[in-house]
Amino acid sequence: MDDLKQVGFISLGILVAFFVVMTMVAYTVLAERRVLGFIQGRLGPNRVGPGGFLQPLADLIKFIFKEDIVPDKSTRFVYFLAPILATVCALMTIVVYPFGPAVKIPFVTEPVQLVVARFDVGLLYVLGVTSVGVYGIALAGWSSNNKYSLMGGLRSSAQMISYELALGLSLIGVILQSGTLDLYSIVEQQAGHLGITGWNVFWAQPLGFLIYLTAAIAETNRVPFDLPEAETELVAGFHTEYSAMKFALFFLAEYVNMFTVSMLATTLFLGGWSGPFVHQVPWLGIFYFFGKVVLFLFFYIWLRGTLPRFRFDQLMSFGWKFLVPLAIINIVFTATLQWSGALDYVGQYLKTATGWLG
Amino acid sequence: MTAFLFILFAGMAIGCAVAMVVQRNPLYSAIALIGVFLALACLYVMLAAPFIAAVQVIVYAGAIMVLVVFVIMLLNVEAEERQPLRLRALIPIAVTLAAIFFAETAFIIYFVQASPVSLRNVSDVGLTSSIGGGLFTTYLLPFEITSILLLMAIVGAMTLARTGGLLSPRAAVVPGDQVFSREMLNRRNVADLTPVITHSTDEAKELLGVRDEGEAE
Repeated sequence: MDDLKQVGFISLGILVAFFVVMTMVAYTVLAERRVLGFIQGRLGPNRVGPGGFLQPLADLIKFIFKEDIVPDKSTRFVYFLAPILATVCALMTIVVYPFGPAVKIPFVTEPVQLVVARFDVGLLYVLGVTSVGVYGIALAGWSSNNKYSLMGGLRSSAQMISYELALGLSLIGVILQSGTLDLYSIVEQQAGHLGITGWNVFWAQPLGFLIYLTAAIAETNRVPFDLPEAETELVAGFHTEYSAMKFALFFLAEYVNMFTVSMLATTLFLGGWSGPFVHQVPWLGIFYFFGKVVLFLFFYIWLRGTLPRFRFDQLMSFGWKFLVPLAIINIVFTATLQWSGALDYVGQYLKTATGWLG
Repeated sequence: MTAFLFILFAGMAIGCAVAMVVQRNPLYSAIALIGVFLALACLYVMLAAPFIAAVQVIVYAGAIMVLVVFVIMLLNVEAEERQPLRLRALIPIAVTLAAIFFAETAFIIYFVQASPVSLRNVSDVGLTSSIGGGLFTTYLLPFEITSILLLMAIVGAMTLARTGGLLSPRAAVVPGDQVFSREMLNRRNVADLTPVITHSTDEAKELLGVRDEGEAE
């Protein structure tokens, strides 16, 4: 009976997280189109509902009712498997992010931590699931039996395994300092004064943050690293042959991935749900968390409106010859600081210097 | 609950493993192998070893198999044709080996069940911190030896993959338009004699992998 109760509880958590994330992803798409419109001096979609508010719903209905075309010479099974794999892997990571601190919920006696699954290796789980997500794109490119798709698939798998390295290495600095892989504890350690001074991005891991941010953009195949779907060279890259709901799934996977790397950046570098007055009013944590995530999403859209695309060899040499060495330097630097205890000293200094704040 | 999950994941592992061997299309085999790795990772989680599970997914399913799939996609390997078995003589040997394997498994299961249960305090086994502590204290030497072995493998792979090793380092490069045979540039491409034209000395040097000798760099 206890087992069943726990399963029900976790399922409920998954459902809530799923709907929250899906809704936000849908409106990220709308926001992207409106913001891009603003950047490019046009309006963007504003006809469906007030200010284009119902546009995501209209898009969804359109996607469902479009004709589903399967290329004749495609490898059927893999062709169907690929979009499912991409979407499932993108969605699987949302369960480990702590949305907020422990809060009181009606009908439950003890305070509940706002995280669906809290476990020892949360960070590694995120990395593992993300790395499996590569197959969605690679297999989509292969199974379509189209040279542009294949090129897109190859490019994306090469790009994603290259930048995964820089991404993983940039996280090691954070792990070295927090001494745990549990995301909830990492957030708790960043509380600091007013919930702001302890953020890793400020004085603990500024370099790691920049490396992570760059590698994360490449991991999600976004501009300026969107070589796998470069329309000037590859028609549409790996999803050239996909239409209707299968294309929508790839689209969804890309935005959910954007969302999850933003959540990871928030959790590891921007203190997750911590912020002013969270201790007094725990529910505020949710707003801080999603506020920071939205900031990252805006940054992504801004980049897309601003930067041109890399060339593939530039992308590779930037990843291997610049980001990876930089990440290793960051690790050595962090480890040296940690070993010599200099960071504790700085922490003490900050504590006295900012003592009047808290 | 535990038994149900175990049967689910073990069944998935065995099913995927059989599919991997039976499939004629190499890409399907690769996908089945990924399935095996994922099922094994689930089993590790059930055995309270989340770190091993995560590493299994990251390293095997996420890195090595991506490279395998990558190579299959690049070479565009066709589905293998079903050929008459040439090594018919090996069938009895295979059957014998399988019988020995099953006997071994039965032996192990029997003796594990017969031996007295000695449960030590295992609450921290499999946690990330305990694995890290073990790797960097008790098992430091094997750990370092493994890393050196991997480094040697990387250097060896790079040496094997390098092209243009045929020319002696003293080979001179004449300035101006140059014509080289492909055979000269790549010793594995013996049959291909189409010439490669380079338009500058630097390009030729780069293609041939020639270094300047006697000149200060």
